[in-house]
Amino acid sequence: MLELRLDGRHPVLGVIDAQVRAGDRICVLGPSGVGKTTLLNGIAGLDPQLRPMIEQRAGLRVGYLFQEHRLLPWRTVRQNLALVGASPADIERLLAEVGLASAGDCLPDQLSLGMARRAALARCLAIEPELLLLDEPFASLDAERAAELRGLIARLLDRHPGMAMICVTHDPRDADELANRRWWLSGRPATLRCDEPLAAGSRIGAPLRSA
Amino acid sequence: MNGSRWACWVALPLALLLWAGIALVVKTPLLPTPAAVLETFWLALQSGELPEHLLVTLRRVLIAFALAMALGTLLGVWMGRSRLANALLDPLLVLFLNLPALVTIILLYVWFGLVEAAAVLAVVVNKVPNVAVTVREGARSIDPKLEQMAMVYRFTRWQRIRHVWLPQLFPYLMAATRGGLALIWKIVLVVELLGRSDGIGFQLHMAFQIFDVASILAYSLAFIAVVQLIELALLQPLERRASSWREAGVRHA
Repeated sequence: MLELRLDGRHPVLGVIDAQVRAGDRICVLGPSGVGKTTLLNGIAGLDPQLRPMIEQRAGLRVGYLFQEHRLLPWRTVRQNLALVGASPADIERLLAEVGLASAGDCLPDQLSLGMARRAALARCLAIEPELLLLDEPFASLDAERAAELRGLIARLLDRHPGMAMICVTHDPRDADELANRRWWLSGRPATLRCDEPLAAGSRIGAPLRSA
Repeated sequence: MNGSRWACWVALPLALLLWAGIALVVKTPLLPTPAAVLETFWLALQSGELPEHLLVTLRRVLIAFALAMALGTLLGVWMGRSRLANALLDPLLVLFLNLPALVTIILLYVWFGLVEAAAVLAVVVNKVPNVAVTVREGARSIDPKLEQMAMVYRFTRWQRIRHVWLPQLFPYLMAATRGGLALIWKIVLVVELLGRSDGIGFQLHMAFQIFDVASILAYSLAFIAVVQLIELALLQPLERRASSWREAGVRHA
């Protein structure tokens, strides 16, 4: 559904060739400042320089969970979901799914960090994404909240086997739990090292297949 | 807060007392007592003269205000969002910001004659640069992170304007409105004084010619009251409603 053909003319990202197929669960690992978010922004179509180098299927629905919630602070959670096109019934279902059934009428700034992130996740899901982009989804959450959210995302992925995910993280344990592929980003300009998808069923804790 | 509630009732009555005291001592028609001004006001109100001229002026203020806000907002957003537009138009903006209102009024009357359109246009030309400068600040401060969000989630142009831009521009639009109303009605009076045969500015002109200070004060105070009424009845409730979300974070914290 998506093909990266970066030719090295970008200031941060070097020559990168990679593909994303339906059902891929990719974790992007690498030191901070290496360009992980830049890569994610590029895939989301937000970097005009990268746009010609990234080929995606026309009409691909991309849900992006930014590091900050980026909900409109002057609209309630429910209104924020309605704005991306969710029907009232969908909104209730999504809110229940992310555990915010009673917070629909709250403004984003009334929510805790973890709740706001789950509200933003609900907005991602509202557009029924074929590709889910997660930028450090577990950053600055305490261990318990992070585990909760990881479980929530794992269940979501199980329920939508065709949905692809690209999750930026600096914690390899996230990759163990969520990913079947890993992309390592390193250097300046940054280049990508990919591993092959793991065999189905051997996802969690499985050693990387050697070449 | 409780201690300061009475404080706003000090200065105005004191000024009124001072005025009355001096007027009673000097005893000249050039400084009528507050009671005399009130009487003049009452007579003008009953004769229908004051309401008539007040409405004429108010109409001019509102038309000029609406045009100036619309044009100034468009210009301000455009200049705030596009570096090219800003580079092109900024010198003009500086020129018009520093052009005295009186010059615009005289020129437009000379070019177009003493007609209504020239009068309103003169006011608009004076106000548009102020609105544009204020709104430009707002447009520059639009959060790029929310812009990215709106792009990823494919907001339509209208959704983006209404739900993303307008709430961010609102404080700037309110500032422009506040300043605008106060400035515009003062310019309208000058426009009327110089080239119209109705409106409060015209009445002030007539009163000036016979040194009728009581009328001058009665008309000005009446209009100040009207502008204050607009502020209290329209602008403040609007502002309270539109900025209520700002308190959400404070309540939460």
